[in-house]
Amino acid sequence: MEVKISVKNLEAYYGKNKVLKNVSLDIPKNKVLAVIGPSGCGKSTFLRCLNRMHEVVGGTITGSIMLDGEDLTKGDPVLLRKRLGMVFQKPNPFPTMSIFNNVAAGLKLNGVRSKKILTPVVEKCLKQAALWDEVKDNLDDSGANISGGQQQRLCIARTLAVDPEVILMDEPASALDPISTTKIEDLIFELKKNYTIVIVTHNMQQAARVSDYTAFFYLGELIEFDTTTKIFTSPAKKQTEDYVRGRFG
Amino acid sequence: MTPSKFYTVRKKVTNAVMMSLTFVATLIAIIPLVFIFYYTISKGITYLNLDFFIQMPKPVGESGGGMANAIVGTLILIGLGGTIGIPVGIMTGTYLSEFGNNKFASVVRFLTDVLSGIPSIVVGVVAYTLIVVPMKKFSALAGGVALGILMIPTITRTTEEMIKLVPHSIREAGLALGIPKWKTTIRIVLRTAWKGIATGILLGLSRAAGETAPLLFTALGNRFWSTKIMEPMASLTVYIYDYAKAPFEDWNQQAWTAALVLILLISILSLTFRIITRSKYKTN
Amino acid sequence: MKNHFEQEIDNLKTNLIKMASLVDEQVERVITALEKGNIELCKGIKAKDLEIDAYDNLIQTQCENILALFQPVTVDLRFIISALMINNQLERCGDIAVNISQRVKKTAEFFSLISEAQIIEMGKHAREMLKNAIDSFINNDSDLANKVIASDEIVDNLNKHTFKFLVSKMQTNPELIEPCAHLIVLTRHVERLADHATNIAEDLVFYVEARIITHKKKLEKLSDGN
Repeated sequence: MEVKISVKNLEAYYGKNKVLKNVSLDIPKNKVLAVIGPSGCGKSTFLRCLNRMHEVVGGTITGSIMLDGEDLTKGDPVLLRKRLGMVFQKPNPFPTMSIFNNVAAGLKLNGVRSKKILTPVVEKCLKQAALWDEVKDNLDDSGANISGGQQQRLCIARTLAVDPEVILMDEPASALDPISTTKIEDLIFELKKNYTIVIVTHNMQQAARVSDYTAFFYLGELIEFDTTTKIFTSPAKKQTEDYVRGRFG
Repeated sequence: MTPSKFYTVRKKVTNAVMMSLTFVATLIAIIPLVFIFYYTISKGITYLNLDFFIQMPKPVGESGGGMANAIVGTLILIGLGGTIGIPVGIMTGTYLSEFGNNKFASVVRFLTDVLSGIPSIVVGVVAYTLIVVPMKKFSALAGGVALGILMIPTITRTTEEMIKLVPHSIREAGLALGIPKWKTTIRIVLRTAWKGIATGILLGLSRAAGETAPLLFTALGNRFWSTKIMEPMASLTVYIYDYAKAPFEDWNQQAWTAALVLILLISILSLTFRIITRSKYKTN
Repeated sequence: MKNHFEQEIDNLKTNLIKMASLVDEQVERVITALEKGNIELCKGIKAKDLEIDAYDNLIQTQCENILALFQPVTVDLRFIISALMINNQLERCGDIAVNISQRVKKTAEFFSLISEAQIIEMGKHAREMLKNAIDSFINNDSDLANKVIASDEIVDNLNKHTFKFLVSKMQTNPELIEPCAHLIVLTRHVERLADHATNIAEDLVFYVEARIITHKKKLEKLSDGN
């Protein structure tokens, strides 16, 4: 297992409230890591620490997060966020931009203007996000006027356009219908060939279906981390077993 | 009658009564508006002709003439006011909503509220003291500054409110793409809130266009053609003020026409804004 | 593009087919050894059976993982259930092949006895049934599976006949008691082979047609009797 991100002794705080307690975990390269756990277990915070989006809402951390041996907790968060793209729970395309500009936004707002460069990137990313066939004739329509499932795939395409190494997904399908959910899950399965993916999900079945590794968090602690098959067939910890069996508490 | 039936009937009656009450209230609110329009149009229509737009005011005694200088003057004055008020308003509003989580910002917010409550004549006096007195000269610039100051609170507060309406997730989407915060704010957040902000700007401009008091000490008025911003300048409102109180029937009539033209100007302004800011996309 | 789940199902089916062809080869070899009295063919059967056992474990784990991770329903669920059952049957067939090979080694010199007792015919039938059962599974062919189920009776009848023949042989020729005893055990194994083939066919029908036909005749008889 090749390690992409190595997290050591990570502790996260919102104000004085400690939300992550001494988390150490190696995230494997080109695999899908699912982070599961009950609400408030710190799984979303964990995800946000990885691209330092926790800072946006005033969080602080101690410990180290190494991406290919480089400490992510230091340096400019703006630069690192290009390397760790993020997809959010609710599809959030830019409502005033066309589908094309939504995908191109990351590049455009970082100074790439040439249509010659942008057009092929947009096409490639929309294809990667399995959305191209559905929108190729309406690239100038608003990004907000397509269905929720399409919007979420648009957001994935937008993330891919900045050419990240890691994709962080915060419950990417929880606001979608079952068919759209399946599409997103199939997409995740395809994307792991080229990207390292970390997905936070409430839905244990989803974690089981899409991931290679699973981390179970409870009350800010990492209880267990192992291959998904191990976690869902014979986890080492009783707490993990109770949770995946749906008999928690 | 069973109790449930009784309640159903009572519900229906209550519903009908409340509906009619709101309808009546709406009517009451509309009536003055209708009267204003009716009077202005019926009285002002007499002089509403091409001459009014292209001719200069005639001396006392001579009939006819127009207010070309005042129409252009008003446009220049609100243009000047906008040049000052719009950027300051938008920037302040943006600051308050995006970075306004501190003591300084709450002070600014409070002062903006106070400013919006200050009578416009006081603002006129301020502009008089700040510009007219040191320059020893009434000028369109001073008028523009006064109008600009008057616009600031409206534009600031609308901008702040409209930016606050932009979902946090949109900001996060921008930041997560590795776009710096300032760029996210300007290129994504402001753009998303633009429609609402434009409404605020329009309100500010319309209010400024209708002000008389601050202009009396600043732009003063001018019976001649002038587009120099360092000179006194004519405006519709000041003309309305002068002509309405003049003892000449002819001038009184022209004051009504000036009022009508002012309303038309604001309507056109409003319409233009709507067209400019109309979304490229159908909204559903 | 096949989705993740389809890929897992395909993978499982591939392993089952690989296992089935191993079993098929083993049975082919021991039945040929029986027909020809060729002990050479029985060499290496036992070692090869370990491969089948390894597949048995692998497929069981795969099924467990698919059930745990994907929670399949309808036809997918029936596929996993039938895969588990067929896996079990195939593993038993592999063991039976080993057992038959051992008896063949001990009885090879009594070729005429084997032939007179119609054991060769029985072996051919059982062999054919297993082959068809595996084919029906590979092609999801329930018609072929039903044929397999129908032909079980032939083997059963042959078995009864062989048993009687061997018992009478033992009564008349006490010196043949030992080979005959071996052959009774051997025919018992061949009969079991046919039973497992029938079970595989029944599992396939369950997967394709969503109905359980196992024990159907016996249960119908029972309710008729009441």
